[in-house]
Amino acid sequence: MSLPQSLRTSVTPPELELIASQQLIEIIPLIAVEKTAFISGAFGPLQPPRKAQIPLWMAINLKLKKKCHIVAPEWLSVEFLQSRLDEEINEPGFSKLPFRYAEVSKLLLDVAPDDIQSTDKIRYLLKDLREARQAKSREGVDQINRGELSLSNLCSMEINEIRPFFVHAMGILTHLHRDASAEDQP
Amino acid sequence: MSRSSVSAMNWEARFKSDTPTLIQSGKNGKSRTGALALDSDNEDQDITMASASESNSARARPVSVAPELYIQDDESPLSQLTKHWMNERHAPDILPAQEELLASLLDHIRRQSEAVQLLRGEPSASEEEHIRIMLVQMEVERVKFIVRSYVRTRLFKIEKFARFIMTDATIQTRITTAERAHASRHAHLTDRHFHNSVLQSLPETQSHLDDTPIFMPPMITKPDETRPVFVHALRDCPPIRFHE
Repeated sequence: MSLPQSLRTSVTPPELELIASQQLIEIIPLIAVEKTAFISGAFGPLQPPRKAQIPLWMAINLKLKKKCHIVAPEWLSVEFLQSRLDEEINEPGFSKLPFRYAEVSKLLLDVAPDDIQSTDKIRYLLKDLREARQAKSREGVDQINRGELSLSNLCSMEINEIRPFFVHAMGILTHLHRDASAEDQP
Repeated sequence: MSRSSVSAMNWEARFKSDTPTLIQSGKNGKSRTGALALDSDNEDQDITMASASESNSARARPVSVAPELYIQDDESPLSQLTKHWMNERHAPDILPAQEELLASLLDHIRRQSEAVQLLRGEPSASEEEHIRIMLVQMEVERVKFIVRSYVRTRLFKIEKFARFIMTDATIQTRITTAERAHASRHAHLTDRHFHNSVLQSLPETQSHLDDTPIFMPPMITKPDETRPVFVHALRDCPPIRFHE
C-alpha cells in the first residue's frame, strides 16, 4: 500500500520530530567547518569558540560525535517552565509554549543533558506541564460540537494526540445533524 | 458544501499566538479567529491556528485564497514542501499538485548527491571535510524521506479516489498529468478485475460499479468534504467566520 494504515489518520511523533529538528538552534562548535551549502540553506562557518546557528538535527549529530555544545534555548529552563506551569494550573487557558516544545525538549534532554542546567527538575516540570495540559484538552471534549472549537496555544504534539478522536467525533456530530435536518424537510 | 480550508495554516512553529482550532469544514457559521483564510475550493488543512475565540454564527463567505499565497517567499523550498506534506497528510481531499517545487527540490537533491560523490573521491580529505560530507548526505536522506512520504500520500489518495477522479473535472485540475494517467489506469484495472471476477455473472441490473442505490452509500469513493480539520493561523488576524 502506498500509505500504511497506521499513517492514514495522523502523523506519527517521529515525523513531528523530523520536522521539529529543522528548527535552528545555537551551538558552540568544537571543530572548525567551512561554510557549507545545504538544501535548507547555507550554514557555517563553524569556528570555535564562536557560537553559530544551525539546524537542530545537525547539532544533534555533531553533539553525538562530541563536536559541539548545544546552547539550551531560553525556554528550556527551570524558571521559564515553572512560571508556565503556575500559569497552567491557575488559568483556564493553555499557557504559551513554543509550538514544538515537546519534540525539541525531548531531543535535547536525550542527547545533550550535560548542556542543560538541572535536567531532573526540567523533566519533572515538563511532565507536570504535559499532564496539566492534557487534562485541559480532555475537558475540551465536552465542548466539541459540529461547528468549531478553538484551542489557543495548543502545541503540535498535543494537536496530534487529540486529532484522530476530535476529528472523528466532530464528523459524527455533523452526520447526526445532517440526518436530523434532512428529516425536517421532506 | 464547501470544504473550508485554511490556507496559511501551517504548523510552522511560531511562538506567538498559536491557536489551533478544530473547525468543521464548511458547515455552520462560527467565527474563528486567527485562521487566515478559508478557501472554499481547496481542501482542508489540518492544523491551523487561530487565535481567539468567540463563536457567533455569522455570515461571511469564505474568502477564496489559494494556500500557496500564504507561503512566504522567503521560506526555503524545503520548508514549503514540509508544509505541503503536512497539509496533504491531513486533508481529506487531494490538494493542488506542487510540481515545480518538487522538481526544484529533486534537482537540488541530485546536485547535492553529485557533489558528495565528487568529494568522497578525494583521498586527502580531512576529518572536518568528512563531517561536512556526512552532514550533507544526511540532509539529502532527510529531504528524500519527506519527498517520498509526500508523493506516497498523494498516490494513496489517487488510488482511493481513482474512479471519482475520472468523473470529476475539478479534481483533475489539481493533479499532474502523470497522476491523472495513473488514476485512469488504476480505475480501469480495478473495473476490469471486478468485472471479470464477479460482476459479469450478476444480473444486468446489478453488474455496474456506479449504481446509486437508495439508502446505501454511493459506490464511488469520494473525498469526505465534511471532515473537520485543524487549522493553524500563523499570525494574528481578525476572526474568520464561516458561512453556513
